[in-house]
This record gives sequence, C-alpha cells and structure tokens, in this order.
Amino acid sequence: MKFLRAFLSTLAGMPKVAVGAVAIFLFLGIFAPWLTPHDPNAQDLLQANQDMSISHWLGTDHLGRDTLSRLIAAARTSVVGMSLVLILALSVGVTIGTIAGYRRGWVEEGLMRIVDVGLAMPSLIVALAVIGIFGTGYWNMILALALAWWPGSARISRAVAVNVMNRPHIESLRVLGASPLRIYFKHLLPTTLGAVLVYATADAGAVALAIATLSFLGLGIQPPTPEWGQMLVDALPYLEASPRQVILPGLALTAVVIGFNLLGEAVALNRVPTPLSAKILRKRQLTAALWTREAA
Amino acid sequence: MPADTALLKVENLVTRFKSVERGKWVKAVDGVSIHLNPGEIVGLVGESGCGKSTLGRSIVGLEKPQSGRVLLDGVDLGTLSGRKLRETRRAIQYVFQDPYASLNDRQTIGEAITEALIIHGVSDHTEQRRRILELLDQVGLPAVLAERYPRELSGGQRQRVAIARSLAVEPRVLICDEPVSALDLSIRAQVMNLFLTLQKELGVACLFIAHDLALVRQAASRVYVMYLGKVIEGGGSLDVYARPGHPYTSALLASVPSADPRIEALREAPVLKGDVPSPTNPPSGCRFRTRCPQAMEICAVNEPATVALSSDHSAACVIAEQVHRGEVIAPKVH
Amino acid sequence: MSTSSPILTVRDLCIDLFTARSALRPVDQVSYSVAAGETLAIVGESGSGKTVLNFAPLGLMPLGVSIHVSGSIRFDDKELVGMNDEALRKLRGGSIGVIFQDPMSALNPARTIRRQIAEVAELHLSLTSTQAEARALDLLKMVRMSDPEARLRQYPHELSGGLRQRVMIAIAIAAEPKLLIADEPTTALDVTVQAQIISLLKDLQKRLNMAMVLITHDMGVVAGIASRLAVMYAGRVMEYGPVQTVLTAPRHPYTMGLIDAIPRAEDLPGSAFRGLPGMPPVLGPPIPGCAFVERCRHAVATCETTRPLLAPTADRHVLAACPIVNRSSEALHAG
Repeated sequence: MKFLRAFLSTLAGMPKVAVGAVAIFLFLGIFAPWLTPHDPNAQDLLQANQDMSISHWLGTDHLGRDTLSRLIAAARTSVVGMSLVLILALSVGVTIGTIAGYRRGWVEEGLMRIVDVGLAMPSLIVALAVIGIFGTGYWNMILALALAWWPGSARISRAVAVNVMNRPHIESLRVLGASPLRIYFKHLLPTTLGAVLVYATADAGAVALAIATLSFLGLGIQPPTPEWGQMLVDALPYLEASPRQVILPGLALTAVVIGFNLLGEAVALNRVPTPLSAKILRKRQLTAALWTREAA
Repeated sequence: MPADTALLKVENLVTRFKSVERGKWVKAVDGVSIHLNPGEIVGLVGESGCGKSTLGRSIVGLEKPQSGRVLLDGVDLGTLSGRKLRETRRAIQYVFQDPYASLNDRQTIGEAITEALIIHGVSDHTEQRRRILELLDQVGLPAVLAERYPRELSGGQRQRVAIARSLAVEPRVLICDEPVSALDLSIRAQVMNLFLTLQKELGVACLFIAHDLALVRQAASRVYVMYLGKVIEGGGSLDVYARPGHPYTSALLASVPSADPRIEALREAPVLKGDVPSPTNPPSGCRFRTRCPQAMEICAVNEPATVALSSDHSAACVIAEQVHRGEVIAPKVH
Repeated sequence: MSTSSPILTVRDLCIDLFTARSALRPVDQVSYSVAAGETLAIVGESGSGKTVLNFAPLGLMPLGVSIHVSGSIRFDDKELVGMNDEALRKLRGGSIGVIFQDPMSALNPARTIRRQIAEVAELHLSLTSTQAEARALDLLKMVRMSDPEARLRQYPHELSGGLRQRVMIAIAIAAEPKLLIADEPTTALDVTVQAQIISLLKDLQKRLNMAMVLITHDMGVVAGIASRLAVMYAGRVMEYGPVQTVLTAPRHPYTMGLIDAIPRAEDLPGSAFRGLPGMPPVLGPPIPGCAFVERCRHAVATCETTRPLLAPTADRHVLAACPIVNRSSEALHAG
C-alpha cells in the first residue's frame, strides 16, 4: 500500500502526456486479447482496403484484417518483446555491474573491459550481426537485442553499486562484520536494482523502436504476427491508396517512443526542483495569512 | 610505554592511495604507532588531510593498509581472514561523522538494530526484542523509535541510533570519527556525555577522532596529534594541552579562538602561515618545517626522532624539550 | 556603540517560505542594524533562520521555494523589500559582497581565477577586460595570496580550501562593497587557516570601511571579529547587544546555555559536558509562545502562551526576548 502510494505520487510529478501514452501502451499490451474487436489475423479479402466504418473503426488492410485490432495486438507484441529484452539485459547487466562494483580491483577491471567492448558497438549493429549468424526468428531477435543492451545496464549498475558500496551505511555493515552475501543480497542488490530500473525507463522506448526496426527489415517479428514495423512494411505498397495504414502504426510507435523518452528524462531530472505551481502557492499563502503577527 | 596491557595496538601502519597524478602514491598514514588501553578514551587530533580518518578506517578494515600491524588483545588481525577476521574485528566498531548517511533509509530503526543482532548471532526473536529496547535505553532513546524510519529522526537521534547499533555487537573499542561535528551546538554535549557514560558503564574504550581540540581535551585522558600522515606528539591530555612539546601542537592550540572577547582582543597575527602542504609531495625531513616558526637547517635533512618528555608524553621534534619547557616562544609571523 | 548612522537597518523582518510540502516561517520579526566599519555577528544553530534571513531578501533562494518577505530592510537609503530582481542583482556583488561557506561550489570549476575575479570587476565597475584583469591581481594581493601572478592562471580545484576562500573574498570585495555578508566563512577550514582568514577579514574591513554581517555558529570566531551580536533561535532574535557584554554576561537563558556549553580550560578530562536539554524545534509555522520554552529552566506558564519581544535589559545596550530576565529592568524603570 505504502509502495503504491509512493509510486502514484511519483507519477503525479511526471509529464501527463508521457504518462498517458505509456499507460495506454501498457494497458493495451497487457489486455489486448480482450480488447480487440476482431481477430487481428482473420483475413477477409472481400473487405480489403476498406475505409473507416462502424464495424471496422479504423478500416481494414490489404488482406481485409481489422486495423484497430491489429494495432492493439501489435502493442502486445511490443510490450512482451520489450519486457523480455529488458529482463534479460538487466539480469545480465545488473549481475555483472554489481559484482564489479562489489569486488573492485582486477575483477572489476576485467568485467568492465568486456562491457567497454560491448558499448563500443552500436546496439542495432550487434543485433543485426547476431541475427545474421543465427538466422531470423522471434527468440533470436530477443536474444540479439538483449545481447546488444546488457553492456549499458552493466555500466550503470557498476556506477550505482560503487556509489552504494561507499555509502557509510554499507561501510557500517562491513564494520559490524556482516557476511559478503548479506551485504550483496540484502543491501547492494536491492538498492542498485531500484536505481537501475529507473534508468531502464529511458531504454524501453529505444528497445521498442529496435524491435519495430528489425521487423520492418524482415529480421524480427515474422508475419502474420501483428507488429507495428511489420504493419508499416505491409502497407507501404498501398501508400497512395490508403495512407492511413502507414500513418497509424507510425503514429503509435512514435507516441510510445516519445512517451518513454519523456518519462526517462523526467525520472532523471526528478531531483531537480521546479517552481511551485500557482495552486500550491495560493494554498501556502493562505496558511501563512492565518498566522498571527503580534505588534512590535 | 605501557603497551603490554594495551587492548588495541597499531604498529607502524602505512596506508596509501593512488594519487590523481599518474603513477604517484599518497601515503595518507605513514608509519603510525598508537595504542589504546581497555576502557580508555584517547583523542586523535589534526587538521584535514592529516590522515586521522584514514588511520581510523584502516583499523576497522575499511581501508587496506599497505604495511604495519593492528593488534587486538595481542592478536595480529593481519594473520586472520574471512569469517574469523570478521568475528574478531567486530569488537572494534566505528561511529561515522554523518548520521544522515550511516543508516539505510529503507530500514526502520528496529530493523537496523536487529540486523546487527543477527550478524552477532542473536537469532531468538524475544531476545532480539529485549536487546533492542535495552540498547535504545542505553543511548537514551524512547522505545517507540524502533518503529520509525531514519528520515523521521533528528541528527542527534540518528547518531544515537548509529551508536546503539554498534553496541549491539558488544564492542570493546569504539572508533568515533568526528561523531558530533555534524550536530547542532546544543546537542553536542548530550552525545559527548553519552560516550562518557558508555565508557564508564560498559567499559568501552574510545578512539576519538576530531578536529575540535576543546572537545577532545575534555573527553580524552590521552591525545595523539597528527600532521601529514605522522603522529608528531602524544601524551596525557592535560600535559599536551598545557605544555606541548611540538611547535605544531603549540601553534594549533594558539590558533583556536576563544569565546572570550577580552582574550581575543589581545590576539596578535596568526601563528602559522599558509596551508598544509600536499601529502603527495611531503616536505623532506620534518614535515612541518615549511610552516614551522622554529625551522632550522637540520629539519630539512633528517626526520626528527621521537623525544620522550615524560613517562607518557613524547614529541617528534629536535627542540621538543625546549618547547615543552616553554623556552621557545613562537615568533610573530606576518 | 556605533558612532555613524547604520548603513543597513532591518525592521520587523518576517520571511515566510512556501515549499511543495508546507509553509514555514524561518524568520520571525527580526530587527537589527549595522553601521559602516562595524561587524554584526548572527549566531544560531541549523534551522535558526540565520542564513535565510540574510540571503532571501537578496533574492538568493533555491529553486522550488517561494518566499514572502514583510517588514523593512533599508540598505544605503534604498528599500530592499519589494525591490525588483534586476536592481537586486546590481546590488549583489556590487555594493553588497557575499562570501559562502563552501568556496568550491561557489566558484566556477571551468574558469581560471583571473577570469572569475575580472568578471565581477567588469560587471560592477564597468572596467574593460584588461583593466579588470589588472584589478584581479591587485585584489589577490589584497587578500594576501602567496604568489598571486601564478594563482591567477590556476583553476579552483588546484587550490587548497584556504586559498579558495581567499579567492571568494577577493571576488566579494572586487567592487568595494559597503556591506559584506559572510556565511560561515571559516567553518569548512582548518583551525590554523581559520585564524588567517579571520585576521584577513578584520584587516580588509578596516581598510575598506565596510559594514559586515557574519553568520556563524562559532562563538570563538564571534569574539575575535564582531562588535555586536544577535543570537537567533527558531527564527527569532533571542538576545542582541555588544559582543563583550553578551559573551561575558549573557542574559537570555538560551545564550547562557550556549556559552556555558563551550568547554573551558578548567574542565578536567572525563568530566561531563555542559549543554542544553532537549532539541531545537523543527522549522514550521510560528510558535505561539517563547520558542525556547521547552528547554528553558526558568520557564513559567505565560512563556507557553505569550511571545516575548526584544526589550532592553538592566544593561540598556543589551536587548533580550525573555520576560524573566527583563523583570528586574522593568522594576528599575518603574522605580
């Protein structure tokens, strides 16, 4: 309960548009099977390339599939893919980062050089190379992206872990004679994970974009699974006839990426104070006006 | 020196750090030997960068000394490792300067103390509960605070919690690193008196690291003075403060402003010129010679030997005896 | 006490602070004055409002906090309360110099000492950059910097704490201010360096005939430099008077407690430390009675309900906000 309230109060301070976009994305992604008005993969060639109507709110594509349903189902593909990539990348990254942060010295040097190599190559190039070697496929794409993303989270985790290890509260545990396992699992890992998850917000948008990019190139999600990048490719030949089929998935993707980026930025800048809102200021002034002031 | 009965003994300790300049090392602690008798409060004073905190941190293992020995009850801690080392060293606890950072803000006070008890092997819940109440009482805090989080407490209360948690593992030595300098003036006396009480009632020995000379004088029976990584003087507080044997100690004492404006009105120009030199390139010979009003040619050549001034008072200066007898009056510097 | 008329007069100053969480009053009806060549020390613990008192009216407040200032601050025949930001900015660093506790965070790490000092001189004295840089050298000589030519080329991180504080002082006096506000100028420094800085400040004040407001918690520093003293507690002035009198014969129970708590030469090692019981109140709305009542040995029932105002004591030069210590002086007036 306390956690939920803290979470909600943090959200209240974030840009509303970003919170809205991300919330809608996550909601659609999680509840997609119950929200789609039609089966997103049901083809009906007689209904192909239809305009907006009562039965198909956003029309149909060249195979007569309901666009709205496909957009919603694609959100699910994106949420699931993104989560898998982040979970894998963070597990590897946080483990390596915290071990490096805890064990300083040559262990840290060695691990961080590996991370440096990973960071030296652009994420998408790494992903393309992995897919080039292992071939296309859903799991290959997830693994490729996770492989591309873990060095970043390892770097951040190490920075956070080094900072946490130098805090007096960890030092006082060392003086108390706490075992390394206790310090690592009870104090270092939870604190680091909390901080790294915050940074992961900014990464989520980039991962969503990468999934769409790979799918657009035909290297990621394979048809007929609905996916925004995939939908863009499908609709490109009909760009002039029904531009809506290109614009809608494009807009959805843009909204999600911008939403996550704004959220990530807001989280990073959370510590920077902002001026009081007019409403709170008036409330405070009212409080102060009631304070008595004795005559001097 | 009566070091045979010593509870804690530090011999020739050297702790160094990598310098910002490439390939260079800074010897923050450069061959320091001190000792602490059971139940004794000993002061360690010096200016920032003299290595007093590093010395304290090296004793409890927060820094890794390069050489030298730390002995507890005659047992060289350097010969132990792993679990055995952790259990032995637990008898030496550390009180940090910043009471706001020494507690995990996600743990309640009760949880923080419980964790220390668990580490110390107290696993029974009723016993844990009993000890928490006892410890809070010992440091003068009400039992209700056990349910609170550190952010709900004042600085003085947090410092008491930090002390209570150290006491949970039944230490014999407390190393207190500027334990009251982050606290408000009117609170300091309360926390200082707590240390005095703990020493009297539990027989805990304290190494009191501070820059506040007046505080140390009143709390400690003996005092060590450090300058640039070395102990330059040590002895009974009364003797060292009244008749210092090292020109640095004498200058340090003369620099402390008095709260009495009548005394301040008579104050002449500052005794010492300039700042403490960088520990990366300490001066040759005596490290204080660059600021010393009495510096002679020999001071740049040889590192001065420690001169015994009485049974427990010694200073590392070639003219220690004259300074101690008050024959050397610091010349006025402009 | 002061022969000349005051350059800074603060009357019934109240500062209300509005944050996202609550409304506070860190400064509650404070009055004092400082004349040219005089030093007023403002002493108080953390949360006593001593820093807000001096910086809020100059427009120096952290972001995310709104303030409301009432009362009057007259400086050099100008009213600062209600003055616009542009005019305040001209005063800051111009006729009002400011020294902060932590010189490292007040200096720009990416600029040389020469540039940082010259910038102030250009801005407030309308000098060309060559003139201003020549002036920077003079200023470093004035703050008794060793090897000033070499220091001009250095960056703040290359200097020790004491030298950095000298640079801060040089910047503060660059425009020959009429008032210097020093916030804990020696707290971050070692005792041997502190002695040098205090002697420097005293000397500069004499040479430039500045008024100085020194914010500190160290009674030793006060005794060495200040002529008058205001003791603050929970946003209010508890005692106000000449340093000699207040430090040697304090009247207010709080001042008495503070001075009594300073370890004395005759205290034996191992003897108990003298201090005040309890804790200072947390910053919040104004306290109805006396703010010190909970920790006061002499408190009576009325202390909880009626706020005592500053009033002359038996010694007419000393003002104290305590009805108990003032009773004797009232009797004197009546008789």
